[in-house]
Amino acid sequence: MRWFFAIVQIGIFGFAFSRLIIAMPDYYHYYAMGVIVMTMYSVAIFTGYEIYDEADDGYVEYLLSLPITRRELVLGRSLAGGLRSFIFMSPIIAGFLLLLGVFDPWKVLAALTALYGFAFGITGLSITLAVGLKSGSSFDIVMGALDAFIVRLSSALYPQAFMPGPIAALSGFNPLTYATDLFRWSLNYDVRYLANPYFAVLVLVIFLTTFNFAGVVIYERNLEGGTWK
Amino acid sequence: MGAVIEHDFRVFLKYRFTLAGLISMNLADLLIMAVVYTRMVSFNYFEFLAPGIVAMGLFAAAFVIGREVNMETRRGYNLYLLSLPLRRSEFVFGRMVAGGIRGLVYGIPLLILAMVILRFPSALEVALMLFAMYLLGMGITGLAISLAVLLRSFEKFTTARSLLYLLLIFCSSVFYPIAVLQQVLRGPLIFIAEVNPLTTVSDLLRGYLMGTPSVTLWSWAQLLAFSGLFILAGSGLYIIAIQRSA
Repeated sequence: MRWFFAIVQIGIFGFAFSRLIIAMPDYYHYYAMGVIVMTMYSVAIFTGYEIYDEADDGYVEYLLSLPITRRELVLGRSLAGGLRSFIFMSPIIAGFLLLLGVFDPWKVLAALTALYGFAFGITGLSITLAVGLKSGSSFDIVMGALDAFIVRLSSALYPQAFMPGPIAALSGFNPLTYATDLFRWSLNYDVRYLANPYFAVLVLVIFLTTFNFAGVVIYERNLEGGTWK
Repeated sequence: MGAVIEHDFRVFLKYRFTLAGLISMNLADLLIMAVVYTRMVSFNYFEFLAPGIVAMGLFAAAFVIGREVNMETRRGYNLYLLSLPLRRSEFVFGRMVAGGIRGLVYGIPLLILAMVILRFPSALEVALMLFAMYLLGMGITGLAISLAVLLRSFEKFTTARSLLYLLLIFCSSVFYPIAVLQQVLRGPLIFIAEVNPLTTVSDLLRGYLMGTPSVTLWSWAQLLAFSGLFILAGSGLYIIAIQRSA
């Protein structure tokens, strides 16, 4: 369904909107690249829901019995969550790169690194929220609000240059802004509409380190003594 | 029948997390996305989208009943429903009416917001807009119930529901004028966009609130035909599903 969602967004919304946009050239590719990163986000965030399911199914006891440290468990899950999102999206990404005619291995590598780094960080965020919020309802609300606002308050749909002051300011704190802009930059999109790529790399590194570290600390603390129940 | 309507309405209020998510999404589309796009297109997109958001929110709220009916059908709750001292036609029609009211209750605050943004029309125009929204709500309820009883498996139902959501929302004039879709879509997709009740209601609301596109009898006929068709289909299929589970 997520594939279909991405394809419909790119194939219908993207084409229709690119006819309306007069403020920038080639909005279609700008939008399509944003949809790819947005879909990565929605796949990566899913790990949090799995953590609730595991608690419901009594699977956490099994995880605790494994001969690995808690830190390895969280980091392993974040890395796997990122990788899973990446594999899930790879046919769409590959098709898109072919359509754009991007064959330079360095550009492809840079684009894929940006996507993987983002998915890794988002999985860490999702784990942090899932283990930090004890109730499933609170998690649902936070995720619903995040879903609604994180995409719209980012440059996934439109460049920061066209955002009014307060929206542009908020989008400056949003990792989705930097992940999408870095992905576009790797694919040679017009830099006038993108955030500084070096700053974007820095923000993404801080983002993924912070949330994975927070995930490790909170998960480790909550797993002990059955407080995750 | 009043009891059925009251029951369904109370159940609707229990979906507060779903409704909170839905309203966040609708408001974020209007107050953030539309504000930015207004700076990128040649017309006031914020004003254009306001009536579309009313139709889209109402559509999603009215569709929630499909999930309930699907769950009732799978869990054998229909046996209890059959035991109620009600005629089946009364029960089924009650659910359709309740679905329309649920959609309307969700859509009215968004309509008020759209009126604040655009203009306050005459009492007659307000009544006509509410009637159009109610018809859309009932038609969507019929469509959701048809899908819910035809696809008993929860996975199939949720997949079909998501496909329908995507097609009806993106192939409609909720987000862009139908003239733009006529340039980019071909074959069955443009047909869906033109007969889509979301297109009809979005444009009817725009007609009353913005004066363009103009409201025509054809739009009303289309809406009546859609609602009539799906109220009948939903009712018929629902009665058959209830009887079969006995």
